[in-house]
This record gives sequence, C-alpha cells and structure tokens, in this order.
Amino acid sequence: MKFTRSAKFALAAAASAALAVSLLSPAQAATRSTIVIHDTNSLTSFNSSTPDTNLTINSKVGALSGIGFYYIDNKKNVIRNTTFGNFKVVKNTATDFRIAYTVNPGLVWSDGTPINGVDLLLSHVLSSNVYSKAAGLGDPDSDNVPDFNSNGYGGTYNDNIVGLPVLSADKMTVTLQFKQKIANWDLYGPGPSPVHTLVLMAEGKKGLQSVKDNEAARDRFYAAYTTKNTAVLKAIGKVWSNDYNITQVDDKTNPLLWVGNGGFTVDSAVTKSSVTLKVNPKYNSGPKLSGTIDTVIFKFISDGTAAAQALANGELDVYSGQPTADAVAALKKLTNVNIIGGINACYEHWDTRVNAAPGQPDYNGLFKGHGGKGADLRKAFLLAIPREEINEKLIAPINPAAPILGSTFIAPGFDGYERLIANNGSSYYIGSQDALNAKALRLVRKYYPTASASNPVKVTVLVPGNNPRRAAEFALAKANALKAGFDLVGDVQASWSPKIQLSTYDAQFFAYCPSAVTQAGSNANFQLGGGNNRNGVNLPQLDAILNKLQLPLDNRAYISTIIAAERIINAEGLTSGVFLHPAVTAVNKNLKGIKPSPLSSDVVWNWWEWSY
Amino acid sequence: MKLFGRKATEGEILAGGENAIANKEVEGLSQGQIVRRRFFRHRAAVIALVTLSSIIVFVITALDTKIGPIRIPGWWKWTVEDIPELRYLDCPGGATGCPTFSINPSSNFGLGSHPFGQDDIGRDYFALVMNGARRSLMIMFVIGAVSGFIGVVVGSISGFYGKKIDSVLMRLVDFLQTVPTIIIAAVIGKAAGRVGPLFLALFLGLLGWTGLARLVRAQFLSLREMEFVDAARVAGASNIRIAFKHILPNAIGQIIVTITLIMAGAILTETALSYLGFGVVAPDVSLGLLISQYESSFTTRPWLFWWPGFFIISIALCVNFIGDGLRDAFDPRQRRRITKKDRLQAKLQNKAGE
Amino acid sequence: MLNYILRRIGVSVMILFGSSFLVYNLAAYASDPLAELRLSTDDGARQRIIALTRDLNLDVPPPIRYFMWLKGILGIFVGKFDMGATREASTVQAELAYAIPTTLRLVFAATFTALLIGLALGVISALRQYSRFDYGMTFLAFLLYSLPIFWVAVLLKEFMAIQFNNFLADPNIPIKWMVIMSIVGSVFWSSLFGGERKRFWSVFAGAFATNFVVLWAIDLTDWYLKPGLGPILIGILSGLAAIGITAVSTGLDNKPARNAALSMAGLGVILYYPLQRLFENNGSYLLIIALLLITIGLGYGSSYVFSKIDRGPIARTAILTGVVSGVFIFADRLMQSWTAYRETDAINYRPIPTYGQRNDQLESPDFWIQNLDVITHLILPTLALILISLAGWIRYSRGALLEVLNQDYIRTGRAKGLNERTVITRHAFRNMMLPLSSLFVGEFVGLVGGAVITERVFGWQGMGTLGIKAINGYDLNLLMGVNLLLSILVIFGNLLADLVYSALDPRIRLGK
Repeated sequence: MKFTRSAKFALAAAASAALAVSLLSPAQAATRSTIVIHDTNSLTSFNSSTPDTNLTINSKVGALSGIGFYYIDNKKNVIRNTTFGNFKVVKNTATDFRIAYTVNPGLVWSDGTPINGVDLLLSHVLSSNVYSKAAGLGDPDSDNVPDFNSNGYGGTYNDNIVGLPVLSADKMTVTLQFKQKIANWDLYGPGPSPVHTLVLMAEGKKGLQSVKDNEAARDRFYAAYTTKNTAVLKAIGKVWSNDYNITQVDDKTNPLLWVGNGGFTVDSAVTKSSVTLKVNPKYNSGPKLSGTIDTVIFKFISDGTAAAQALANGELDVYSGQPTADAVAALKKLTNVNIIGGINACYEHWDTRVNAAPGQPDYNGLFKGHGGKGADLRKAFLLAIPREEINEKLIAPINPAAPILGSTFIAPGFDGYERLIANNGSSYYIGSQDALNAKALRLVRKYYPTASASNPVKVTVLVPGNNPRRAAEFALAKANALKAGFDLVGDVQASWSPKIQLSTYDAQFFAYCPSAVTQAGSNANFQLGGGNNRNGVNLPQLDAILNKLQLPLDNRAYISTIIAAERIINAEGLTSGVFLHPAVTAVNKNLKGIKPSPLSSDVVWNWWEWSY
Repeated sequence: MKLFGRKATEGEILAGGENAIANKEVEGLSQGQIVRRRFFRHRAAVIALVTLSSIIVFVITALDTKIGPIRIPGWWKWTVEDIPELRYLDCPGGATGCPTFSINPSSNFGLGSHPFGQDDIGRDYFALVMNGARRSLMIMFVIGAVSGFIGVVVGSISGFYGKKIDSVLMRLVDFLQTVPTIIIAAVIGKAAGRVGPLFLALFLGLLGWTGLARLVRAQFLSLREMEFVDAARVAGASNIRIAFKHILPNAIGQIIVTITLIMAGAILTETALSYLGFGVVAPDVSLGLLISQYESSFTTRPWLFWWPGFFIISIALCVNFIGDGLRDAFDPRQRRRITKKDRLQAKLQNKAGE
Repeated sequence: MLNYILRRIGVSVMILFGSSFLVYNLAAYASDPLAELRLSTDDGARQRIIALTRDLNLDVPPPIRYFMWLKGILGIFVGKFDMGATREASTVQAELAYAIPTTLRLVFAATFTALLIGLALGVISALRQYSRFDYGMTFLAFLLYSLPIFWVAVLLKEFMAIQFNNFLADPNIPIKWMVIMSIVGSVFWSSLFGGERKRFWSVFAGAFATNFVVLWAIDLTDWYLKPGLGPILIGILSGLAAIGITAVSTGLDNKPARNAALSMAGLGVILYYPLQRLFENNGSYLLIIALLLITIGLGYGSSYVFSKIDRGPIARTAILTGVVSGVFIFADRLMQSWTAYRETDAINYRPIPTYGQRNDQLESPDFWIQNLDVITHLILPTLALILISLAGWIRYSRGALLEVLNQDYIRTGRAKGLNERTVITRHAFRNMMLPLSSLFVGEFVGLVGGAVITERVFGWQGMGTLGIKAINGYDLNLLMGVNLLLSILVIFGNLLADLVYSALDPRIRLGK
C-alpha cells in the first residue's frame, strides 16, 4: 500500500484546492499609488488621429499625456483650461470670424522645452485639405494616402478656414480666420503638439536632446510650415503617421515619442495586455495633480464578465462597461468597490417611415405621407411603445436613475433640458400606458374603425438581431402595441444598419451614438438630404429651423430652436426616444475622483482629480 | 499496488467458460436480435435511452406545437410570448423573477407558477428553456441526419468505387475541412440577415460529415476485399445491392456510433457558436443562447444559468451513453460483462466437464 | 514515398487556393466595414469613409481584390511575403507572430497534460473493464464531454480563483470540508484499487485516514501560505516515485533497477541544500536545462554502477526517477517563492488570476517569481482545456487498449508465460499507441483553431481571439491570414498524421 501515499498526498492537495469554497474576508488592501483602468479594446497606436487608429482606447491614453485650451466634463460642458492659455473672438462679422489662441508663458513639455504658439500649428496641417494639397502632401480625397494620414481632413474646420493661421511676433498667440460664424467654434481650435520631437525623429534622433536643440528643431518646423517645404514636411508626416503605431514599449523605445504636456507620460506597454503611464514631474499645463497617484495602467479585457470577475479579484481599480443587469447586481455585491451608475452617449429610439429613402422603391405603407393619416398613425404607433415598461424592466436594473427621454436632440442633465421637454410637445407621449393605449387606439380607429387587439393593423418593424436587450424590448413593445390595435411584425436582421432605409419597414428602432457635443449633431436625421434621413422626412419648415443650429447660439436660443424643431417632429410622430444606454463604472472603494462621462473620454477626462 | 492486478489464473479459468457463455447466447439469433439483446444489457445505455426519450417527450409536449394552421396545445400554462407580471417580492438578494418551485413543505410547497423563474421582462423561464431545448434537440437531430446521410453516401461511394471517384471525393473532404465552421457560420449569418435555427442546423450538417465519410470509406475499402463480397458478386449481385445489402450492414455499427458522437458534439457546437454570437441569435431561443446570455447571472440569478446547462448536459450525456451502448452492442468481439452469476455457472460447467 | 508526399502537397495547394478564394469572397460580400461609419454623425466620418475605401480597396470587386491579396501571399517566392495590413494599423504577419506562440503555449500545456492523465486513466479503466473504476471513468468522461467550455470557465473562475483567493486570505479548512474531501479522495482510491468488498473498505479506511491527516497537517502548518516540501518530504516522495517507476518500468524484482532508482532519489535529497544555494541567485532556463542534462547523465551512470548487463531499462528507470525528484525539487523552490509572490504589489495577496497571460505589473526580475506568475496564469485556462479534452483521451485510450487486448498476440504472450506487466507494457501498450499517435496530431491541430472560447473567456490573445476579432471587425486581411494558417495546419496535420501512422505501423503503405 505504500505506493498510494505519495499519490494521495498530491490528490489531497489538489482536492482541497478544488473544493476550497469557503467565503471568507477578502485580502487586505495595501496602500496604493497605482490605478488600474479597464478597457475593452487593446491599444493599437499612441496616435489616435489617423483613420486606422481612431479607437477610444488610443485617445484615452492620449488624453492623459496631453492637455490643451479646453476639456469636456462629464456633463458635456466645454470647460476652458486657463492654466494652459486663453482664447477669444477678435473679429465677429458674418463673413470674417477670427479667434485668437494665446498660450500662457512658462509652460513646458515633459522634456523641459517651453511651449509656445508654434506647437499649435500642426493642427492646421492635420485638418486642412487645402494646405495638404498646397504643400505637396497629397490630396486627402484622392486614392493615395496623404503624407499626414490624418482623419481630421474634410471636416467643419477645413470647410471654413481661411488662409494660414497667423502666429504673433512673440510666438505665443495663433489667430484663426473662418469665413463665417460657425456653431461650436470653440471645439475647432488648435491643440498643442510637441513638433520639435517630430522634427528630431524625422532627422533620425533616438533620444532626448537639450532644450536649445529642441527649440532649434521647432524653428525648423516653423520654417518648413511657412515655406511649405514638402521634403521636410513629408519626413515629419511619415513619423507622425507611422512611428506611433506600436504596442510594445520598453526602455529601448525612442523616448522622443512620449514627450507631452499632460500629467502622465507613457512608461511601458505590453502588446494587447496593458499600457503603463507614470506621472510627469514637469507637468504644469493644467489643473494641479492630486499627488497621490504616480502610475496609471490601462489593462485590456474584452469580455465583460471576465472584466467584472477580474475586478472582484482585485486585478482592476476601475471597470467601465455596459454590462447586463446581472453583472451589475454581481458588482453591487462586491465589498471592495463602489458602483457609479452612468449612461453613455447612445440613445435608443423608435423611428417611423414617412416616405421612401433616396434611391429606394416607393413606400406605400400605412405611415405614408406628412400630416393627416400618416401622422396620426405614426403618433399612435409611438404612443403604443411602452417606454415606461421598457425602461423599468430593461434599464432600471442597471441604472435605476435612467429617465425616459423627452428629446432626441439633447440628453437629460444638459442645461435647459427641463424647459425643452416642457415645451417641445413630448408631453403628448407621457402618461399611464393604459391612457396612452386608449389615445392610440382612438387615432387608429379614425382610419381603421374595426381595429382592436383581436383585429390589429400590421406594422413591419426592423429588429436589430443578435442583441438580447433589443429582443426583449421588441417583445414588450409587441405585447403592448396589440392593446392599441397594432400587430408588430418583427423582421430580425443581424446586420441591420444597411437595412434601415428599406421601404419594407414601417418602423425601426436602434441607437445613435453622438460622439461630440455639437449643436447641429441631429440635423442629418431630419433634414432633406441629411445623411441619416432614411425615413423620407421632407419638411421645409423643419429644415429652416434646423439650419439655424449651424450658427453659434447661446444656450437660451439653442434650446428655443430645438423646441421649435421638436414640436414639429413630435406632432408628425417621427421619432421617440426611449432610453439612454446605461453604462456602469465600478471603482475601487479607496479611489476618489472618478466621474464617468457619457462621451468617449469616459473616465479619463479628469485625471488630475484622481486620488487615493 | 497491483496496477496490473488481473489475476492470470482467473483469466485462464474463465477463458473457456466465457466463450461458452457468449456463444450459447447468440445461437440462432439474427444480427438485429443480438444487437438489441446486447444493448439492453448495457444498463447505463438503457437508462440514458429512457431518460433521453422522456426529455424529448417532456420538452415537446410542454409547449404548443404549430404544424401549419393546426395548433396542438401543450400542457404548460405559459408560452414564450406571454409576458406575465414579473416577480419582485421575496427573491433572495433583491433579484427579480426567482423560481417559485419550493420543496419546503411549510411554505409554498410545489411548482408554483414559474418553477424555473422568469427572465428580465417576466417571460416564464420554464417555457423559454423548453423552447430552447426543442430547438437544441431539433438542431441535434437535423445535424445528425444530414451529416449521417451525406457522410454515409459519400463515404460508401468513395470506398466502394475507389480510384478517381475516391480521390475526388476525398479532396472534397479535405477542402471542407480547411474551411473553418466558425468563419462560414459568421459569414452566412451576416449575409443572410440572420440564421434561423433550422438553417443553422442544416448548414452545420452540411459541413459536419467529413469525419464520418472518411470512416465509412475506410470500412468499405477493407470490407469490399472480403470473401463474402466476392461471393455476392459471383452470384450476380449488382453493385448497389452489394453496397447496401452486403457491405453497409457490416459497417453499420461504426456508423451509428459515429453519428451519435456527431449528435452529442452538435449540441455543444451550437452552444459554442451561440456564445460567440454566430449561432442562434435572439429573439430565437436555444439552450446555448440561454446560457451564454445568462452567463453573468451565475452569482445573482443562478437559476437562469443552471437550468439550460442542466438540459444541455443531460441531453449530451444521454446521447453519449447511448452511443457507448450501441458500440458495445455492435462490436462482435465485445464480450458482455461477466457477472458473478455467470462466473458461478461457468465454474459449475467446468466442474461438470471434469 | 517522396512522390506521394509531393503529390499530396500539390493537391493541397490547389485546395488551399480554392478554399481561400471561397472564404475571401463569402466574407467580402457578407461584410460591410463602412456600416458603422454610415450611421455616424461625426465630423470626421466622411474622411474616414474615404480613407477606409482607399485602404481596403473597397471600390474593387471582391473576386479581383482576392487576387490582389493572393499576390501578396505569392510574394513568398520572391521574398516579398505580404499578408496585408489589418484595419488597426498593424500587419497581419505581426498579429499572427504574436498570436501563434500564445496559442501554442496554452495548447501545448493543456494537450500534454490531458494526454498524460487521460492515457493513465483510460489504460487503468481498460485493464479494469466493467469495474467500479471503469464505470466511474466512463461516466466522468461522458460528463466532461457534455460540458460547454464557457460554462465550465465561469465555474472555474468563481471557485478556483475568486473563492480560492478569498480562502487564501485566511486558509482554515473547516472540519466539515476535511471530511468531505477525504471521503471523495478515498472513494477514488478505493475504486481505483478495486477488489472485493473487504479490500474496498480497507483501502477506503486507509485512504480516508491518510487524507484526513494530510489535510489536518496542511491546515495546522498554514501550508497554503508557506508551502514547501523540504528535504524530508522530497526524500519520501522521490523514494515512492522510485518504487513506482521501477514497478511499471522493469518490475520490482529487477534489483539493479530498483537500487539505481532509489539511489537517484537519495541523490536528490543529498543535493537538496547545495541546489538551494545554486538556485538562490542564478535561476534561469539555462540552469534548468543544464541540471536536466546532468540528471540524465547521472541516471545513465548509475546503470553502470548497479549492473553489468542489460543496462537500458535500468538507465531508463534511473533517469525517470531522477527527473521526477528533480521536478519535486523544482516545485519546492517555486513554492518557496510563493509568499514573496503573493506579497508583491501587483499580486496584492490574490495569486490566482482570472484573466490574461502575464501580470505586466509584476516588477520583480526574480526567475522563480516570474515563473510562478506564468504558472498561475496558466492554471485556469489549462484546467478548462484539460477538462474538455481529457474525456476524449480517456475514451480513446480505453477503447484502443481493449481492442489490442483482444488480439491474438496478447493471448500468445500470456500463453508463453510472460508476466502480466510485460504483456501490458511491451505488447499491448505499444500497439495501442498506434491509433493514438495520429489522433494526437489531429487533436493538437484542432485545438490550435478550436481554443477560441477558452482564449476569449480567459483573455489570451491567440489565434482564436484574432479570428473572432477579424470577423467582428470586418477585417478581411486578418480573417484571411488566420484562415490560411489554420487551413495549412489542417492539411499538413492530416498529411503528418498519415505519415506518422505509416511510419509506426509497417502494415500500412501510403501512395497505393
């Protein structure tokens, strides 16, 4: 029997490990100065401004290592960073709109080089098609990749900028000239880039240089920029477009890549696993750091459940995601984390068809046409969507505070939202669901006198497939709509987005995820010829109102304009917002200052406030 | 200590007796009868067969069945379309829709209205699981049938005719093996809008027969050289007759066993594909989709996680055991388990012989 | 033979061409990389659509685009091999170069462990056909066969990582659990040893007592917090291993073999302290390999000391024993670093991770701590893969051995008076390995592409993850890269399996 013992010993160890399932107190937390932040995607590049690298994780890492004239807080407000500098409108006429951006003196990059206005000029190179063509860097709209492979070309900035930005004599101020007043002009200002490092790298330097050499390099950039020196700019463009596309960083990586003016600089990175940033001791370009955090780590975990389990296991300090109700309930059970309920920018909404989308066969369904029968039935249909029930059953378990949307233009919490929803006609769609159903049924019976739950009117709905929440949403809608005399016939499509425009569907539901805070962001959904107008909306009166949003407006005028637009939209029954997609952030109990934002900057926008 | 603890003497004593038992037992029986007898002696396989049949009957009769315009009502009160009131109260830890099933005789003893609980929006989870199990069973049988049919036909043609036909068909097999199921499933799912469960099953069946075809081919290659085939040919039998009447019955054991393995594997393949989002997608229901959807419910609403898992495991387990029983039953060299009673009889016979 | 291989390769290339053309076009027609951008109201969306159309040649019809892709692949003949760029500013080659070793690390560990355990259980199961153990193993195998892997993964993470880490914070085993664990263990051992009822219960009692005492000792000494074996335990374990290995390898009546094995075990104990010195600051793979070679040398040498004739089996036994006691010493050294590992900032007293390949924040350069980190990250995914593939090996090896045991040459072997050990290890075992060897190739190839779910749930960035990413991200070049590699593996895996089989089995001739 001797033979058994050794094996038994091994077995005992294995068995006890396997069966050890006692719930005991978690391990004690050590004093930490490190914060580990979860992200779903792996970092692919340290430059998030090319078309291939435009991922949120890339820009999050960038957000920690650089700061400019403003940042956007968790309520989508644009906050000026006066430590870095100031900007103001210096000329304001209908055809000449000028803004001056001034950098404060005494600010430095992480390599000690003082920051000045030349560092703001790269923005123009990255955004202006005209400059790119004129400097021989390629036409961004052509079949050839431009030398600066930027995704900033062809936008509002490019469409409105006049000439080159002008640098002041003391090299601290840059003035931009636009050909007209533009809405949200404060978002199109230049951001600082350490251009001297690009020049040095283009010249083949592999390490940090002296401040004097750095300033000389910057002057070389300025000379090339003003004279449109194609050869020099091409070399810089190559560095800018390619050299940041690395995912493995160690001691041997060129330190010139990591020069920045943010609170943290890249220290190391492991491919597909993590990026580590260390505090920048020379940081003085923005709000003062709390000082208790010296290392920020981004850790990449694609699977939501796995990330939550990693959080439970103490491998993460900040987890953010769009988990299921169960994942949230499980997170709530953890003793070592705080849950911050949140929302992301995506809003779920139901749309109805008016006419065929451009290029589609005629639409002759029950919702056809503006006004009259079409509008009444559209309104009845939207009334029959049980928004309250959907919210309560699908969203409340994740974010109990989530409200029903009264507008699809701006989100709850934004300045003026209350006034907006009191006046924009959304109250028509609010009430007990029984009352709404009755109201809807009356509208339906105007045109289909025999409509009832047993003799319903068919509505064909595009159902986005492969999404349990939307399947449940549709099931709830279908069950309730019957009471209002509608039979929702769902067509489930896994690849649904190209099919929204098909005339087959009377209605669709999905989400838009605006990633910016621009005034005119929703225009494309309703204007004739708008890129997202897939339901054939054609209301000249509405178009005129929406056009006003293209110009800068103060908050009051902005809200009033939306009220006017949404009154029409609600009276026509074009769209109805249901809920904002919930997001959840779970944070290590000891960590303070995490305020998730609905925009893609997510938790990283206020890195200076983090503390233990 | 005795890892190889078979007592040599016992083997020698029994060798003669065992054969005697085995031979006596099959005297004068057709192959079918022998197989049936052997199978029913495999206790685990019989239990599995009974369990699986019960599950199938249970699952199919639970919900309404629609065949064209005819609707056969099921015995369960809810359907997957009903959205009854969601149960909030008295659930552990503030969960919603917990099971009403209770074995505590003092409070609410019995099934209650939602024995498996309810999902997020209140649908009866028992109905959902039954619906999912139906789909999973359907997928399993369709894959088994399609793969089995194609595999047997291709394998036997390939093995029987050999030469050119064989090499062409075997390259086709190679070809199909190089196309990863998961990629094709994803591609087809995206192209067709969505893959309905039946379509998914047919398609997995169309890809899943390669292993079986190889096996059937190998069997045919060796069997067609046997004397009895020559005898049949001399007697004037046609090729088709030889293939189906003479060779196929000899290979049927292996084929059936392989098909059961394919079926057990199919239910897991469906689960895996659904987990990755390339299989059955919402709002269709399958067991695999249910578990992957409620994977994160493990600590909060465990019933949503355990029940579909329980059905998947039970079904796969039963099919595997049935396959094992069939393997034993069809294997001519397989000796049945020698029980104590047999041993005693053998000893008595030996004594009598002395 | 060469002719046959060349012909097979030629046909394979044609197949690869056909299947890649099919997959490319299917995928290209099914996917729309611009779908998301079309819904976007972003300022930069228009530019990104232009850039993407340009980068991915979306304006070229897929069948023609396929040949553009093929041109890059065929560049291998002119030294300009190019699998294209991914959509995320990387090249397909770079992505594959990263993913392949990751998958191999995971799959190697799992396949070999599963093979060893499965083979052992299957063989014992076959030798004890229709015993309690056999039924138990059959049931276990079928049960494992029926488990969805992500389902298992959730359970493993919950119980083997989260709860186990909680347990480690204060590792007291409640008496109840000690009893339960001891019962489970003893049932296993007593059914393994089988026999009549009396024997069953005596083994059960012995095993229960030993189990319980060991658990008790573990609990009392806080072994989980300060694990280690120490020279005494290593001595005992190596001694037992020596006896066990001798019993299987040559039979215990082979005195020289037994003595050689025991002396190797003794040597291990004697060298324990000097080795600790050596390990202290010089841990490296080179050292481990050197020690392995020395062990083999010593084992070989000991066969000369103990015997003049028939040294082969003796050397084999001695070397195996030496390696096993080496493993014990190595494990002991790793265990000594356990506390240090747990106390590092990165680990923070929660040593079993649920996710990832390595802990990047682990700053200690210490060889042993780094290795512990690798091992702790391998535990759960390997365990999941083992559980899933173990079933197959148990069934395969059981079936294969039963098949062989029914053969005439086994009867002949017994009839001519060979002892049972020789019959099993020499005749049965070798023949049983024939069909298993080709299965092994197939299983391994299957796992490289089939570990998709395991990689995903445990966050390993291997081939499976890459494939899924390619599909979900409409990354055609990446998808084709993964597909091509897997197709090549399948085709050459099949070829290799056939070659191995014909090399091992003289009855099979290829090319006929």
